[in-house]
Amino acid sequence: MKPQLTLQTPLELPHQEISNYLNKLWISEDVDNSGANTFSLIVWQPAWLEQCLVQKGLIKGPITGNLSLEIIEVAKKFILDEGLPLTTSLNNEELLNLLKGNLSNKDFEDFRGQFFESSISTLNPRRLITLAPTLDKNSDIKTFVSAYCPLSDTQTIQPICGDLVVIRGSSASLTQKGLKIIDELSIDELPSWLWWNGSLDESPEIFEYFMNHGLRLIIDTALGSPNRCLKVLDKLMKSNKAINDLNWVRLKNWRESLAMIFDPPKRRPILDHITDIDIDIAGDHMIQALFLISWISDKLGWSFLKVERDKESTKIEFEKIGGEKISTFINPLPLGNPTIHLGQVIGLRLISKISDLQKNNTCVILGCESVECMRLEAGGMANMELIEKVVPNSFSSSEYDVSKLLRSSRGNTSPLFENAIKIAIQIFNECNN
Amino acid sequence: MPSTLGNPLRLGLRQERVISPQTLVIFGASGDLTHRKLIPALFELYLQRRIPSEFGIVGCARRPWNDNEFREKMKVKLFNQISGKEKEWEEFSNYLFYEPVDLQQSDHLVRLSKRLNEIDKTQATHGNRTFYLSVSPNFYASGCKALKAAGLLDDPKKSRLVIEKPFGRDYSSAKKLNKIVQSCAEESQIYRIDHYLGKETVQNILVLRFANTIFEPIWNRNYISSVQITSSETVGVEDRAGYYESSGALRDMLQNHMTQMLAVTAMEPPGKFEPEAIRNEKAKVLQASKLADENEPWNSCIRGQYGEGGNISNRLKGYRQEDGVHCNSTTETYIATKIFVDNWRWQGVPFYLRTGKRLPKRLGEIVLTFKDVPVHLFESTIINPAPNQLILRIQPNEGATFKFEVKSPGSGMKSRPVEMEFSYDESFGEPSDEGYVRLLADAMLSDPTLFTRSDEVEAAWKLYTPLIELMDNTPWKLPIHNYESMTWGPPESDQLLSKDNIFWRRP
Repeated sequence: MKPQLTLQTPLELPHQEISNYLNKLWISEDVDNSGANTFSLIVWQPAWLEQCLVQKGLIKGPITGNLSLEIIEVAKKFILDEGLPLTTSLNNEELLNLLKGNLSNKDFEDFRGQFFESSISTLNPRRLITLAPTLDKNSDIKTFVSAYCPLSDTQTIQPICGDLVVIRGSSASLTQKGLKIIDELSIDELPSWLWWNGSLDESPEIFEYFMNHGLRLIIDTALGSPNRCLKVLDKLMKSNKAINDLNWVRLKNWRESLAMIFDPPKRRPILDHITDIDIDIAGDHMIQALFLISWISDKLGWSFLKVERDKESTKIEFEKIGGEKISTFINPLPLGNPTIHLGQVIGLRLISKISDLQKNNTCVILGCESVECMRLEAGGMANMELIEKVVPNSFSSSEYDVSKLLRSSRGNTSPLFENAIKIAIQIFNECNN
Repeated sequence: MPSTLGNPLRLGLRQERVISPQTLVIFGASGDLTHRKLIPALFELYLQRRIPSEFGIVGCARRPWNDNEFREKMKVKLFNQISGKEKEWEEFSNYLFYEPVDLQQSDHLVRLSKRLNEIDKTQATHGNRTFYLSVSPNFYASGCKALKAAGLLDDPKKSRLVIEKPFGRDYSSAKKLNKIVQSCAEESQIYRIDHYLGKETVQNILVLRFANTIFEPIWNRNYISSVQITSSETVGVEDRAGYYESSGALRDMLQNHMTQMLAVTAMEPPGKFEPEAIRNEKAKVLQASKLADENEPWNSCIRGQYGEGGNISNRLKGYRQEDGVHCNSTTETYIATKIFVDNWRWQGVPFYLRTGKRLPKRLGEIVLTFKDVPVHLFESTIINPAPNQLILRIQPNEGATFKFEVKSPGSGMKSRPVEMEFSYDESFGEPSDEGYVRLLADAMLSDPTLFTRSDEVEAAWKLYTPLIELMDNTPWKLPIHNYESMTWGPPESDQLLSKDNIFWRRP
C-alpha cells in the first residue's frame, strides 16, 4: 500500500495494531517512498478552552486544536457574561471551571492532530503523534493513523512522506496506555521532539515521562504557574536537558530592539551608566520579564544582589563590578484584552545617568504601542535625552514559532537562554524565600 | 567591566543558519586562495560557532603533504589571524586533513574517495560533501569530469561543487564549460562563485530596494537619468602578471563582478526571496542588456593601460615595465563601457561601468543620478542645482549617501546641495564578514541565491562578445589608451560620458 498524496481520513485502529500497520505502510516496492528521513514530533494538544466551548455549544465543532479568532471572541464574551474581570486570561482556571459546568454529553467530531500549519508540515516530519486528552474523564484510548505527503508548489521532486498518529482519551488513559503506544512508535534513528502545547501545571506524570525520555522539549513558560514553570526549567537545566521555550522565543523582538538601540558605537557608553530599569508586563506572571532582565544583566556583567516583592511590583537590585547599584522593577499591569500567554512584556524603560544634570542623562523607552511609551515617559523622563521605539507585540502563531525551532535548532539550549535561566531561577528562589 | 567597544547586547543575538555536518574538499589547497581566503573564512565561521562539530576540511593538491604538514603550513600562513586565538586554532585545525591528489590521475580520485569515506566515519559527516575547485581554470572541465567518474557527484542532495571565476574566457567557452559541468552534476549542485555577491553592501542593494517603499517607485527611467558603477584599485598587477596578461580588466572584473552589480541594481523585484526567483530576475536583466552602440561597439568602450606615475620618492612602474608583462602588451588594465538595459524599466538610461588598476582610490560604488527638476525656481549657490544622487558605497566606508538640494541659509532663496549619510560603521560599529565567509557558508548550506547560474554567466559573456571580438580580430578599433598611474584612467573615458553631457563622479 502506498501512502496517499493528500491527507487521508485517519483510520481508527486498535492501538495494538498501529505499529504493524505503519511498518507495512512503509514497506513498498518503491524505495523512494520509505518515509521522510527527518524527525518525529509528539504534540501534547489539550485545547481545553476549545473543547469546553464546543461541548457547551458556544461554538460549532469540530474540535481542531487551533486557537482561532472565533474561539477568542466567544471566550471573551463568556467572560463578560459571567461577570468575570475583564483582565481574565483565556486559560484562567476559574474560567475553565465555569465552562466545564453542565457540559453536554454529545459527541463532537475531534480533528485534533489532523491539521498542522503548513510551516510545520513543509518540514516533512516523519512521524507526527498527537496526544489529545478529552474532557470526559472516563473515555478510553482511541487511536487513529494516517499517511500524508505534503505537496509543494515549487518542488518537482518526489514528495517526502510521513505518517500521523492521534492518541485520544482521558488524561488517565493516556498515562496508562498512551505512553506505551508512543514508546512502540518511536523511531530510534531520528531525532524526536515533544511540543507541550498546554499548561506545564497539567498532567505532570506525562510531562515527567517525556522529560526523562531524551526528547528535545518545546515548552511555553507563559502557560502554567510561574513556580511550576521555573521548577521545570531548573530540573531540565540540572539534568542537562535541552530547553526550547516559546516564552523566550517571543522575547526576540524586545531583545533585538534593545540591542539595535546600542548598535551605533556612539550610544554604547550609555550602557555603562544604567541606574534604573522598569519592565511593564501584562498580568501577573513574571517569568518573561525575569528572562529579559536576566539576559540584560548577564550581557552587561551585573551580579544579582536582592529582590523585594510588594503588591504593585517586584524590585530586583543588581550590582556592577565597580560596586554601583542598578534598581530594576517588574510592574504587572492589568490589561483588558489579555492574550493567552500570560505576563508578556509590554514596556521597558532604561535610565542611564552620567551627571546630576538631567539633560545630560539618557532614557531609553521601548513600548508595545505608543500609549505604553507615553506612560513610561511620565515623571520627567523628557528632561533627559529620550530614545523611544515602538516594539510591535504582534506575535506569530505558536505553530510558526515551533516550526522555526524545528528548522533552526539542533536541539541544544541557546547559550543566551541558558545564562538567563540561571539568573531568573536565582531571583525567583530568592523572591520566594 | 563589559567593553563598550562592541555592543554587549548584540553578542549571541544573531541567529545564523546552521551548517549541516559535512566535509569540504578544497582542490588547489596549496594555492594562494586557500590560505588567503578560504581557510581564514572557515576559521572565522568556526569562531562564530557556525561550523558543526561533525565537520572536516580536506585539502587536496599535488604536493605530497600529510595532515600535519597541511595544518602547519596553514598555521604559518594565517599567523596574523590566529594571533590571540591560538587555542581556537588548535581546536579548529583538528578539522583539517590533507590528501595528495592530481585531478588528472583517476587512481588519485579513487584514493580520495576512500579517504573521504574514512573521514565520514571519524567525523560523522554522513557522506555530505562540498567540493571546491580552487584550481587553474584550465582544469575546471577535467576536474569536474574526474569527480564525476569517481562517483563523487552522484548524489545531488549530498554533493555540491563550487567553481571559482573566471568561468570561461568568452561566450562560447563559457557555454562549452557549462555543458561539461552540467553533464557531471545537476545545476542545483553547481555554485559558480563571484565573491562580490558575498559582500554585505552588494546584498544590501536588494534590501534597500525591496524592503523600502520609497525607492522602488522612482527606481526607473522616469526618474533616473544615468547609473555609474565603479570599481577601482590602487594596486597594479603585482605578482599576477601571468594570469592578468591573458585576462585583462574585461575578463577579470567587468564581465563578472561589475556585471553582477549591474544585475542587482537593475533587476525587477522577485516574486519571492528564493534563489531561483532572484536568479531569474538577474538573468532577465542581463539578457536585456546590450552595449550602447552594438553596430559600432568601439563607441561604447574605452580601454586603458597604466603608464608610469608616482613622484620622485616613489616612482611607479608602468604596466609594460612590470615583471612578467610583455613589453608591448596590449592587455587593458582599465575599461569603461556604456550599456543600455532594453526593458520597460530602464529604456534609454545609460549604465556606465568602469574598473581599473592604479587608480587614485580603492573603492566600489554605484551612483544613481536622478533627473533634473523640470523648472528651476531657485537660484543655486553654485552654477546649476546639482541633480539628486543616491550613492551606494560598496567599499570602503560601506554605506549610502543621498544628495539633495536645500535652502542655503540667508535672506535669499538660493539652493545648495547637502548630503544625507548612512554608514555601516556608524550604525553598526562592527566589520562585516569577508565575502568568502558568507559564500562558503551558503554553499555548504545549499543556498545558491548568491551564486551565478549558467544562464547568467552566459548572458554576461554574450553582452561583451562584440568587444571581445574586436579585441581579438580588429584590436586597432579598440585601442589601448595610456594613463598615468594614480589618475582616474585615460582622458578618452571622460569623452564616453561627456557626449551625453555627463561626467564621471570623482569620489
